[in-house]
Amino acid sequence: MTPLLEARNLRVAYAGHRALEVPHLQLAPGELVGVVGANGAGKSTLVNALLGWSRGHPRVDGQVFVRGEDVSGMATHARVARGLSLVPEGGAVFMRLTVEENLAAAGPLDGSDRPAHSLDEIYALFPRLKERLHHLASALSGGERQMLAIARALRLGPSVLLLDEPSIGLAPKLVTEVLRQVRSLVGPKLSVLLVEQNLRAAIEVVDRLVLLERGRILAEGPVAAMRDDPRILQAYLGEAVA
Amino acid sequence: MTGALRLAALLVSAVVVFLLPAQVPALYGAFTVIAILAVAAYGLDIVLSDLGEVSLAHTVFFAAGAYATGLLATRAGAGSWATLGAALLAGVAIALLLGLITLRLREFVFSLVTYAATVVAAALAHNWNFLGGSDGVSGIPTFDLSIGPLALTARNDAELWPFAFALLLVTLYAVRQFRRSRPGAMAMMVHLNPRLATMSGIDVRRVRLGIFVLSALFSAAAGWLYAYQRAYVGPDLFETYFLVLMLTAVVIIGKRLLLGPLLGTALIIGQERFLSFGGDVNAVILGGALIVALAFLPGGLASAFTGLAARVSTKKDPREDVVDA
Amino acid sequence: MNLLQHLINGLILGHAYALVAIGWTVLLGVARLVNFGHGQIYMLGAFVTWWAVARLGLPYPVAIGFAIGAGLLLGLIMQAAMLRLTFEQDLVSIMIVTLGFGHVMRGVAGLVFGGNPQVLETPLSYVDFELGGAWITGQDVMIVVVAIAVFALLRFGLERGALGRTARMVAEDPKLAQLAGIDVRRVYFSVFAFEGAAVALAAALVAPRTPILTNIGFEEVIITFVVVVLGGIGSVGGSYVAGVALGMFTALFGGFVSPAYASTAAFGLLILVLVLRPGGFALGARAGR
Repeated sequence: MTPLLEARNLRVAYAGHRALEVPHLQLAPGELVGVVGANGAGKSTLVNALLGWSRGHPRVDGQVFVRGEDVSGMATHARVARGLSLVPEGGAVFMRLTVEENLAAAGPLDGSDRPAHSLDEIYALFPRLKERLHHLASALSGGERQMLAIARALRLGPSVLLLDEPSIGLAPKLVTEVLRQVRSLVGPKLSVLLVEQNLRAAIEVVDRLVLLERGRILAEGPVAAMRDDPRILQAYLGEAVA
Repeated sequence: MTGALRLAALLVSAVVVFLLPAQVPALYGAFTVIAILAVAAYGLDIVLSDLGEVSLAHTVFFAAGAYATGLLATRAGAGSWATLGAALLAGVAIALLLGLITLRLREFVFSLVTYAATVVAAALAHNWNFLGGSDGVSGIPTFDLSIGPLALTARNDAELWPFAFALLLVTLYAVRQFRRSRPGAMAMMVHLNPRLATMSGIDVRRVRLGIFVLSALFSAAAGWLYAYQRAYVGPDLFETYFLVLMLTAVVIIGKRLLLGPLLGTALIIGQERFLSFGGDVNAVILGGALIVALAFLPGGLASAFTGLAARVSTKKDPREDVVDA
Repeated sequence: MNLLQHLINGLILGHAYALVAIGWTVLLGVARLVNFGHGQIYMLGAFVTWWAVARLGLPYPVAIGFAIGAGLLLGLIMQAAMLRLTFEQDLVSIMIVTLGFGHVMRGVAGLVFGGNPQVLETPLSYVDFELGGAWITGQDVMIVVVAIAVFALLRFGLERGALGRTARMVAEDPKLAQLAGIDVRRVYFSVFAFEGAAVALAAALVAPRTPILTNIGFEEVIITFVVVVLGGIGSVGGSYVAGVALGMFTALFGGFVSPAYASTAAFGLLILVLVLRPGGFALGARAGR
């Protein structure tokens, strides 16, 4: 079966310094893959590079395929139209738009054959958003913003959803709730790549783990085999010490 | 290159530049004007390169110096020392006023107000009879800095050249010292990270105002000498030509290079004097150079040359460090 | 002239001001960009209109179309040159580059249209009638009508509906807008094209009131600054109100004090606003980030 997402020889450099080097990475349909690693391991760099997106000015090389189609040369908005959807770090929503506008703005893209989540489905998933429909996004709590950011990404009808630290800054109870919602989204037409700092929470929901360290994949495998891998512990211990 | 060698090389080139027009007298006019306008451009350079703001009012400081000189010399018969003082005073006064108004403004609002100030100053110069109106002030007497028995006068470009050269040297030295001084360092901090500067105990507004006023001194001094060089002062000083010239001179070679504005001015005036295609085409060339320098050559001509040289001489090491991102 | 006459003149002048400024309002509101070549596009728009009428013998409405086309093209060229700077949000360089474009446009205008002042007489300027003691031409009426039409269109287009939402998303966070599937590059090109076309349209309508020279355009830039700042940076409705108010002020100042210093007075007004309510520039202060 064609993977929903595949990356080959993905390399990212900032001002001549290599920040990421990933020879191969793929997501099968229905997979939820967690990307873990210490701070600065290149997790955000990885998901951003898949969309050719960044707030800085990195140089990105390599190939990215979405459902077998090479999107490497495409601009970010075109990759979004091909089914890649990213929720960047910090629950990025449009603060000066209302919740409703944030969701409407990201309505199904023209010419897309993928089913986007309808507004009703979104409300079923995140009932709080429905209550807050006419509030400005800036008036939402951190957790609500994160939900809105995910909902906004779903409204684009993605085949692959990339989530960058959705749990950051959330209360522990909310982390579990958000990750459980993410788990429920995954299906034959939607795979998720989840960047997560909170290893314990991530292990509970993902199928597979990818461990990054200093811009390279250190280990990769099914979560059952990986959860006791000493390297994972080490990576996080190193982080805790630092 | 060691420091001593570097200094020697600089001294030798300065002497060569100074003596060059004596060998080719046709160069006196161009060299004098280059020196004067370069000094004016250094005023803008400090604000643009060190403070990071685009001031569009430096033509006003330049013109203020020239007008103060022209008016005092023709109507009060003032000597060149007196007009120098008046020119600097006029530049500082206007910069202080404008600086106080724009104290809390940043970026394009700051630029917009300085630009508006230039347009208003031009309207004043055109309409106010005290300033000579559209006719300006003509018949400015001979440049005379004589002290007692020491005769220091200049009746033409050849005689004015040493003074222009001296003013240029003083300016270069001052800009160099400024960049190494504490106020210079504070300016860079205010430019690069205003919040950090505030937390480091720097009074951001005071630094901005101080540097704005300091920069006006250079442009006003240039205006002072320019009034004698042309023997005429008029509202044409406010035209965008001077503004675009200063801006181009500052950015074309590369920002924060000590000799950048001088070389930039030399390129522009050199083209106009020796390779001129008429005013309109020259305007297209000057504006075009400004566009190309900023839009297509980030870092200016200097980095374009060094980049090219680096590409020719060595191939880049393919191994690059892996860093944390 | 009495007060009523000045007020009527001010109303017309105000609509002209608002029309001259609208391109920049949108440019600033949506793309956070500025254009110091604004006045020179105005100048070229006026010359193109004159040239199409006087030299090509085209009817005035067609000439207006020519001017709009020229302005649109200029906007596209400018944005194409500044694309890298725009994505890096390098506002300092953008300001200087647009000044450079202004200088180039002046040179080109001198080459193509020469240094002589030209007068454009439109069919509507021969139609005149008296209103409250003031003489008004058909041209004046057209300026008011077109200004109102453009503002109404923008208000409904930019502040509601999908287009407006896209505009506000790009204005707030262009990077995030890309992730929402928006082609930000196209938005930038459209906005700059609109800026050029709008100021050229304004020139085609307003410039016939005065002689056309290669060095006009500076007053228009000041007017635009004042309108944009007074109206609350980037606000379409605000800049309409500010334009009309400034027109009234200028007419009264010109009528009762001194016409030569009208733009100086407008500048004074700008300073006053800046000093009195610097807090009104939240958007301006953030523009480069």
